[in-house]
Amino acid sequence: MLRYVLRRLTLLIGIVWVISVGSFYLIHLLPGDPATVILGTGASPANRAILYRQLGLNKPIIEQYFVWMGNILHGNLGTSFISETSVASTIRTALPIDVELIVLSQILAFAAAIPLAMRSARKPNGVLDRILSAGSFTLLSIPSFIIIVLLVLVVSIKLGIANTGPSSYVSLGSDWVVNLESLALPAFTLAVGSFVIYFRVLRSDLIATLQEEFITMARSKGLRQRRIMWRHAFRPSSVALLGAAGVNIGGLLAGGFVVEYLLGIPGLGYTLITGIASSDYLLVQGIVLVVSVGVVLINFVFDFIISVVDPRITRE
Amino acid sequence: MSSVLDDVVDPEALAPKRLGALFWICVGWLALNVLGAIFANVLPLVNPLYQNYNAINAGPSLHHWLGTDDLGRDILSRIVYGSRVSITVGIGAMVIGFGIGLPLGMLAAFRRGRLDSLLTAFMYVFLAFPAIIAVIAVLSFWTPRSLFKIIVVIGLASVPLVYRVIRTATLAVAARDFVTAAKVQGATDRRILVKELLPNIAPIAVSFLLIGVATVVTLEGVLAFLGLSVNPPTPSWGNMINESRTVMAQNPWLVLFPSLALCLFLLCLNFIGDRLRTYFDVTEVKL
Amino acid sequence: MSTQLLVVDDLHTTFRTAAGLVAAVGGVSFDLATNETVGIVGESGSGKTVLARTIMGLQPRSNVEVRGSVLLDGHQVVGASEREMRERWATDVSMVFQDPMTSLNPVMRIGRQIDETLRVRLGMDKRAARARAIELLAMVGMPSAEHRYRAYPTQLSGGMRQRVVIATALACSPKLLIADEPTTGLDVTIQAQILNLLDDLKEQLHMSVILITHDLGVVATRTSRIIVMYAGRIVEMGATRDVFFRHRMPYTRALLESSPKVSNPSHTRLRVIPGRPPNLSTLTSGCAFAPRCSSASERCHQERPSLEPAEEPGHVFACWHPLAATELHEAPR
Repeated sequence: MLRYVLRRLTLLIGIVWVISVGSFYLIHLLPGDPATVILGTGASPANRAILYRQLGLNKPIIEQYFVWMGNILHGNLGTSFISETSVASTIRTALPIDVELIVLSQILAFAAAIPLAMRSARKPNGVLDRILSAGSFTLLSIPSFIIIVLLVLVVSIKLGIANTGPSSYVSLGSDWVVNLESLALPAFTLAVGSFVIYFRVLRSDLIATLQEEFITMARSKGLRQRRIMWRHAFRPSSVALLGAAGVNIGGLLAGGFVVEYLLGIPGLGYTLITGIASSDYLLVQGIVLVVSVGVVLINFVFDFIISVVDPRITRE
Repeated sequence: MSSVLDDVVDPEALAPKRLGALFWICVGWLALNVLGAIFANVLPLVNPLYQNYNAINAGPSLHHWLGTDDLGRDILSRIVYGSRVSITVGIGAMVIGFGIGLPLGMLAAFRRGRLDSLLTAFMYVFLAFPAIIAVIAVLSFWTPRSLFKIIVVIGLASVPLVYRVIRTATLAVAARDFVTAAKVQGATDRRILVKELLPNIAPIAVSFLLIGVATVVTLEGVLAFLGLSVNPPTPSWGNMINESRTVMAQNPWLVLFPSLALCLFLLCLNFIGDRLRTYFDVTEVKL
Repeated sequence: MSTQLLVVDDLHTTFRTAAGLVAAVGGVSFDLATNETVGIVGESGSGKTVLARTIMGLQPRSNVEVRGSVLLDGHQVVGASEREMRERWATDVSMVFQDPMTSLNPVMRIGRQIDETLRVRLGMDKRAARARAIELLAMVGMPSAEHRYRAYPTQLSGGMRQRVVIATALACSPKLLIADEPTTGLDVTIQAQILNLLDDLKEQLHMSVILITHDLGVVATRTSRIIVMYAGRIVEMGATRDVFFRHRMPYTRALLESSPKVSNPSHTRLRVIPGRPPNLSTLTSGCAFAPRCSSASERCHQERPSLEPAEEPGHVFACWHPLAATELHEAPR
């Protein structure tokens, strides 16, 4: 167990290091002088001088990297030349919104996917299973940006339900009811995409698990269906589910910007897009770095959970 | 429970294999889309940029089958022309992705050794990086935008995924006896790769290709949504949905029709890919 | 003999499959007394496992048809709902499964797998169930039972796992224990240990036992009667002694000759039964063993022999050309 965790941890550090190099090097991959990319063509020589000092651009590239890395390890992601605020503090305000959104959507997705997958798996190819499988397959083909647009069209425009449309976001601290209302549609949208994945993965795994001999043995002990489902079938079937959840939640962190952007919810994704629109290079770099590391960390955490849930994994 | 049956019947006999009518309907729909995109010029369609000021935000009618947008442009025509962008990006990016990922993946799995370790480590590092963020970041700073750049960036971003799928599939096939037999008989590497391995990974490759196209088409929609796809007024499905957002309260058709076109296209791709996998009995290869 | 615990009468189990109807069990009748051990032998595919599960009412619910009667302790099993059977499994009848590698839940601690039966079926509280589970583990010969209580199946050897399976099956002191090839996946030395254990426990707990196996050597000394099955039917049944020494059915002889005996010098070649067990979905009207039988005649292919009594009481066989009754066959081990 410990060895397994250590091995994964080494891999994690390696990947994070490569991500840091990638984010750092991004600017040099782009055509033109880094200062021009960051400040735009109309920058004053004074600003250029400040930037050069801040990033150490006149030093050799290896040294630049260490300067940059050192800053990051101190929590300093630089100061945006556009908004003149610290990138780190911008991210600190935006990140909790994503976390709230993801948590809400995942609660919804799991609450729907787990019981429905169990019902479906109980009678594979039964009426309910066919309907749910076909339905989830159709949902699989509807991109989240279409779902959110249609939801806004129906719920906030046609039905006129307050606080659900664009730019109605209020922070959790100031009014939690309005906050939840404003996050309802985006959370639901993200939940739909997650539900489809979780339902399909768990259903097929449950069907396979229910064929196992130990399920027959559990039946022969006189246990009720519900208990067999939850205690005996669910846990060995949840490994793939957890793996999918890890990848999916990482994907939501990276790809949730679509719903945020449409509804003007100032999470990381929205901030990233506005940063791109205003060519705020340092902000974009900071968010790319934070999101990438976040995705890797989420995967690591889920790998760990899987190894706890299924003792077979660490003993390979 | 199946173990009881395994005792007495051959489980192979339980599942008859057919592609089914729905499969061919999907193939037909995709073919229609592709033909429409190729022959948009010769079809009796209004110019997708022509603004008919007598019919602004008009609903579906005989003259404009799917209605017009807020500038009086014909929606049907824009959807057909818009499919050009989506399909070009989808196919173009996958040509690049498979053009690089497929030979590398096959070669790595076939040769193993140092080449394989290096390539795989390299690709997995890229896989850890969220591709969508990378695509957006590069496209946003690589100006001016063009269809070509979009295709190249998405195509390159898909290489690690293609590589992983192909490598896994090839590893499974290469371990089978007939490959060893071919080696023993002194077949050249090229011959084994092309004649023995390629046909056997083809089902996986094709179904992954279809799902890849679906993913790329979706991605183009996302880019359009962020204003990072082709510049308006050129129609693309993503552009149309994005532009219609501001007027969807007055004219919901404007959102619905391009959304429907996009979703049907994706549904058909996914369905065909899924069916092929079941048909060829390919064990789930995770994307 | 005391009262009959189990009476099986003309039992049929038919599976509906894409390949047609499969008669896995085709008209089986026998009974079993309290505290008796009967062996059911036959090649794999002879319908032993399906028979066992039908007696338990444990077959899948869909695509299977069961006809006939199984009276277990006076109650009918055929046609009983899962809900009704749930009340009887573990307490009236329980099963030791064939493969201890697959019949234990890999992600549950073994202790939990034993004491959940106790808690659900006997309503024991957590502490009592735990104590009883450890007791059961000790009873089936699990060393340091208290410690192993928290082990996962993957941490145990095959023999140890089978002991866990047995402990689970015995948890609620069933009246009938069905052991379905309990030693197939195990080493020879472990096999004997497990069989002896089952034997001891049977005496201790006053159970009846059905011991299913493809290996006649396994049942030779541990059963009072033996049932030989072929293609879903009983082809010979009688007291263990009679089946071994006065069998009449050529298939029984073939089975005996194909199992190793201690009395033979080592490296003696075992006789192999030629051919393969028949496909159950394409059975003809004749004797199912006829295609593989050296003394088969035209009649054997046309007409199925029914079970006829032999001279010894309780000994029956189904054969048109039985082996001579007086012939004393080669002694088993």
